[in-house]
Amino acid sequence: MDGLLMITSVLLPIVSALMLMRMPWLNESRRDRCTFVGAVLLLECIVVALVAIEPQRSVVLFKMTEQLPIALRSDGTSRVFSIVMALMWANSGFFSFRYMAHEKNEQSYYAFYLLALGSLMALTLSGTMVTMYLFFELTTFLSVPMVLHTRTKEAIAAGIKYLIYSIAGATMGLLGIFFLTPNLSSPYFVEGGALMAGSLNIPHEALLAIIFVTLVGFGTKAGMFPMHGWLPTAHPVAPAPASAVLSGVITKAGVLCIFRMLFYVIGPDFIRGTWVQTALLGCSAVTVFMGSMLALREKVLKKRLAYSSISQVSYVLCGLYLLDTMAFDGALLQIVVHALTKDALFLCAGAIIFTTGITRVDEMYGLGKRMPWTMWLFTICSISLIGIPPLGGFIAKWYIAEGALASTVPVALFNWLVPTVLLISALLTAGYLLPPSITAFFDLRTEGECLVPQVRAKPTALLVVPIVILTVAIVVIGVNPSPMIDAFNRLAATLF
Amino acid sequence: MMLAVPIALPLLAGAVLPAFRWKRKAARNAYVLGMTVLASLLLAWALAAPSQEPVELLRFTSRLTVSLKADGLGRLFAVLIAVLWPLTTLYALEYMQGEAKQDSFFAFFLMSYGVTLGIALSANLLTLYLFYELLSLSTLPLVMHGGSGASVQAGLKYLYYSLGGAAFAFIGLVYLVYFGGTTDFAYGGLFTQVDIRHSAQLRLGYLLCFLGFSVKAAVFPLHGWLPTASVAPTPVTALLHAVAVVKSGVFAIIRITYFSFGAALLQGSYAQHIPLALAAFTIVYGCAMAFRERHLKRRLAYSTVSNLSYILFGALLLTPQGLAAGLMHLVFHALMKITLFLAAGVYMVKAQADDVRDLRGLGRSMGLTSGVFVLGSLAMTGIPPLIGFISKWSLGVSAVTLGGALPVAGLVALLISAVLTGAYLMTPSFTLYTARRAEGAGEPEPLGLPMRITLLALAAAMVVLSFYNQPLLDFLTRTASGLM
Repeated sequence: MDGLLMITSVLLPIVSALMLMRMPWLNESRRDRCTFVGAVLLLECIVVALVAIEPQRSVVLFKMTEQLPIALRSDGTSRVFSIVMALMWANSGFFSFRYMAHEKNEQSYYAFYLLALGSLMALTLSGTMVTMYLFFELTTFLSVPMVLHTRTKEAIAAGIKYLIYSIAGATMGLLGIFFLTPNLSSPYFVEGGALMAGSLNIPHEALLAIIFVTLVGFGTKAGMFPMHGWLPTAHPVAPAPASAVLSGVITKAGVLCIFRMLFYVIGPDFIRGTWVQTALLGCSAVTVFMGSMLALREKVLKKRLAYSSISQVSYVLCGLYLLDTMAFDGALLQIVVHALTKDALFLCAGAIIFTTGITRVDEMYGLGKRMPWTMWLFTICSISLIGIPPLGGFIAKWYIAEGALASTVPVALFNWLVPTVLLISALLTAGYLLPPSITAFFDLRTEGECLVPQVRAKPTALLVVPIVILTVAIVVIGVNPSPMIDAFNRLAATLF
Repeated sequence: MMLAVPIALPLLAGAVLPAFRWKRKAARNAYVLGMTVLASLLLAWALAAPSQEPVELLRFTSRLTVSLKADGLGRLFAVLIAVLWPLTTLYALEYMQGEAKQDSFFAFFLMSYGVTLGIALSANLLTLYLFYELLSLSTLPLVMHGGSGASVQAGLKYLYYSLGGAAFAFIGLVYLVYFGGTTDFAYGGLFTQVDIRHSAQLRLGYLLCFLGFSVKAAVFPLHGWLPTASVAPTPVTALLHAVAVVKSGVFAIIRITYFSFGAALLQGSYAQHIPLALAAFTIVYGCAMAFRERHLKRRLAYSTVSNLSYILFGALLLTPQGLAAGLMHLVFHALMKITLFLAAGVYMVKAQADDVRDLRGLGRSMGLTSGVFVLGSLAMTGIPPLIGFISKWSLGVSAVTLGGALPVAGLVALLISAVLTGAYLMTPSFTLYTARRAEGAGEPEPLGLPMRITLLALAAAMVVLSFYNQPLLDFLTRTASGLM
């Protein structure tokens, strides 16, 4: 059947999650459960890869009403997002097998971990706006339990904050969907946009305002100012591997929705040169700067990384809103690299918590000696995130900056402002990411003077290898970015 | 005359119920359930009949008659009532175990069924008005059933609001008879001529009539009775205060708007704008109040306040598309809200959980109820592909298609309300599963078969309608265009 693979990639994690919830024999021991989850995650990666190899296609699953089809579609965009998401998910999943040994309720953790993966896969494969809206909401509902996992008062408050922000954002998106639908030539996604700009049924200016609201709404998940408030609350309270995917992957769900709306519904030409482009660029530039500043002030490592995500994901949005091919490449590259890097950094933070119980940056004295592997990997990833060549982060930011200089933005100021903000933010990133490494490696106080962290548990291979894989990928992309850039260029050619 | 039978049967059966002096509860229960089902079957039989001429029951004057008719709108409402009444009765049989004065409760419950069917099948405004007043009276004892001070207070409040509203509606009725010469319902209204000479007076009359009926439809600022009335036993709250009574108000407004005064008279005038603005405001107001409210049933009651105005908003757009969307929400909201209320009732009687906070941690020990509650919450929030999304989507599209400041403001109200709905329904859904049960709270009792059947049937209906709804939508579209 046409599209069977796509449906499989959605249903496989969901069905497995239900099995995990319902079948006691899968939960007899940690080993059984982890084996099962690991096998599902690997299988899912294979299915996603097969979907990516398949030619581009779309399938209508069913019609809610005649005008409301629910459809799946695999194309260049879905390939980029689904591959990144599935791989990150698998990687953090394997990390969890060891990490979650000191947490409770593992069964429900893995069940929701898999459910959220299924709904994310469906989100990447969505073929219409309503399908996308559906899975956007579903992703929220299925990822809230990861935030709630520890069941502390703090976690529950954070989960509810996340829920309300996300629903509000999705609803702002829905507003746009309502107004755009009658003006589209097709309910399905179309490369380059389906908006019939010549015959709108509402005033041009009004539609622009609505588009602005819509994109800000979907920006909620991406942590874009002014809807970023939930992110630093919600991400750090989850267990570390869950924080890693929340920050590294689920933020990209917001980016994906914006991407689809921009390039498959509205079309870049409709907003190029309008105040909407200026306003959105302004918002994302503010977010880049603000996230970095907030991260600088924060002492708790996981919270610092969460603020950093706010900043880094808005690099992507900046790149997209420039509506320029080069910046577009940079944005896509930043999606991939930030996912890898932030995943790795959160996993490092998790490994530190698991082995020593340290959560604050200023407590990391001497960690370089105790956990050399973890701290080295942390340092390499930090360097990539700051944007020092030849690592992946540098290439992405270079493309975005160069795109900004070359692009035709309505307010010429942005040609310079965007690269400047990127530069300042890079400095700030160095300011908040290098001190942990410096403290860990160079601040070797003697035991009498201060608390030197005692290793509680030995870091096993499962706590290190996933981070190694991510770091290697970052280095490889940094050294040889051209295959990816070529692929992104081919995608850009269909969209611009 | 067949149409009169399903109305008369429950009325009579209810009236004679206390006379039997039931020795065995089981026999009484079988009687109540049997009569309800029988009435529903008779209704189906009557509606299936080929001849659909109006039936005249009484003639006061040549202009004022009591007569029945089953057109598209009437059928829709009647069938909705006829499906939900037996289900809720089944639930009530288990719910009311252990309550006092059961005979009188079921007597009035049965009679209300007949009265509501009467509203649905009215052929003119006078008949509708008659049954409308009867509904206030027959449901009053149900609100007061608890007998406590609060119940009596709530009952009196309900009575004053209802009678006051009906008086307003009566003024509208007089206008209609005076200028239109008849009160018969006809799609397009009685005043379709291009030259409407008395349009100023008629619009005023319509507005009064709207305000009168909007008491039962719980439009701000006339909604006060509804949250108070949630002290009634849950089957009453669920069926009467989420479907039968409140939707009779909505139904009456749709009747006078499209079938008496006519959309052409009202379009673009203040008589459209004021009701539309009130509906849009109520949509947000109801949700905001629901968000603040911690008592579960009152929260759901405020949610009803908001959702009734969704229906009115659609209908008051005065386009066939808007009316169809409103009717869709009428059906879907009935289904969703009754499900939520019945689940809330289960929490109340089986786990003594009246408050949203008491729901914490009940997810595992009350799996079925909680599953149904979450499904209902998701649908109510408007998560696709569930029914709530479909009707809200249609309402939104109708507003956008019509354009203009008020419809768009209404659309924004719809969206704000969707966020608030998510907030006030999804948070309890989450705490059901995530939080721990309070110390010292006992284990919930298991559900009996009647409650299980009711909840499952409603959940199944929601799911089925989410995926297979085209015939219903076609029917609604034709009804809204006056073709049925």
